[in-house]
Amino acid sequence: MNDTRYCGNPDVLMAYLYEDGDSSERLAFDAHLRGCERCAAELASLRAVREDLAAWAPPETMLDFRIVRDPAPSGRRWGWMTAMPAWAQLAAASLVIGIAAGISGLDVRYGSDGLVVRTGWNRAADTQRAASPAPGTAAGASAPWRADLVTLQEQLRSELKQGAPAPAATPVSAAAANGGKPMSDQEFMARVKQLIEASETRTQREVALRVAEVIRDMDTQRRSDMRRVADGLGVLEGRTGAAVAQQREMMSYLMRVSQRQQ
Amino acid sequence: MTVTDEELVARCIAGDTDSFNQLILRWERPIYALAYRQLGREDDARDVVQDAFLRAFRALPGFKGEAKFSSWLYRITLNLCRDVMRRAKRAPFVQAPEGVDVAELASSDTSGVESAEDAVTRKDLSRHVARAMSRLPEEQRSAIILKEYHGLTFQEIAELQGCPLSTVKTRLYQGLTVLRRDLERQGAGPVRAEGSRTP
Repeated sequence: MNDTRYCGNPDVLMAYLYEDGDSSERLAFDAHLRGCERCAAELASLRAVREDLAAWAPPETMLDFRIVRDPAPSGRRWGWMTAMPAWAQLAAASLVIGIAAGISGLDVRYGSDGLVVRTGWNRAADTQRAASPAPGTAAGASAPWRADLVTLQEQLRSELKQGAPAPAATPVSAAAANGGKPMSDQEFMARVKQLIEASETRTQREVALRVAEVIRDMDTQRRSDMRRVADGLGVLEGRTGAAVAQQREMMSYLMRVSQRQQ
Repeated sequence: MTVTDEELVARCIAGDTDSFNQLILRWERPIYALAYRQLGREDDARDVVQDAFLRAFRALPGFKGEAKFSSWLYRITLNLCRDVMRRAKRAPFVQAPEGVDVAELASSDTSGVESAEDAVTRKDLSRHVARAMSRLPEEQRSAIILKEYHGLTFQEIAELQGCPLSTVKTRLYQGLTVLRRDLERQGAGPVRAEGSRTP
């Protein structure tokens, strides 16, 4: 039964084949198929092609693609610094500035000629100048900052007496041995240098401790990595062995089958 | 209750990157399958999957939701596949295995469903189909892949291909007809569960 509405009409044929279309049209084509051998054969062959297509599968593959956020800027190198409380960071910064000032022999003076800042490299010239007093020196001795400096010395002394750590104990007793007299500038500078040296020693000790910790962490990490690699190799060896065994079994099976056919 | 694609898209637009990763998990296999069948190369297909999701992620704020997310993703993938083929100036090449990988057969689960002979036949047929598909014009191949393996409606395929509905059906019909002739010439046929072939 040749019907131009259906025979060779891809629209109707495809809608029927994939069951994607109007149900009334489908019913009508169903009725047509019962009487049209050509369309029925065509449909059967297209269904066979669809069965063939089902055999085509893409190979298995690893798909591990993911969207990740931009990592926050890593501060690992100085992470221990950020872990420190603010007061400790401030103290550390003051210490560094103090050390730098001590190394450079920083000298700050305020006199009739205004504020004078000198470093240790100018100290020699400064000493010479001090040996031959200038006319304004007498006025400098009675300058108001002198009183401030004495107050500061007193304060430092009292603080040291109250609760200085072990390394600072000797200088304090030395100061006490001085009979409670006010220190000279040289003694005061020597005292400050001692304090700075003690701080440097503490800092060095801390750095050494930190380095030791880093080395220990790295060693631990290395050991755990090595263990993981060793475990992975063991698993791989096991799998390879199992695969070889399976392959051997399969080969012997194929051999048996082929011998049976012969 | 399963979260819909559209809900995940909305969450992602609001800044939740993990929602997009859920969409990736949900769609990476179909997208890979589409790209592989279009291009015929596993590594190219993997690259296309990655590019497609990256493009989708970047363009997500502009996604208005007029089409389904999956349709939008399919369109991006098909465009990328076209770019790859254009760049390579070649027809798709399907990596057909030269022989049957016995180790793979041995490791696959064949318990009571498929014998080793059936598996060999299926591999063989898969190779024939892949070759025949690679010879089809791109539009016909896309139409068949989208309909046969991804179950898209004619309307969805028409929107993806930017052509009338009837053109999609014609492309499908012509493609299937060419495939049938090609497979007959190669002597291939469907595999039944018992291992027999249709005459």
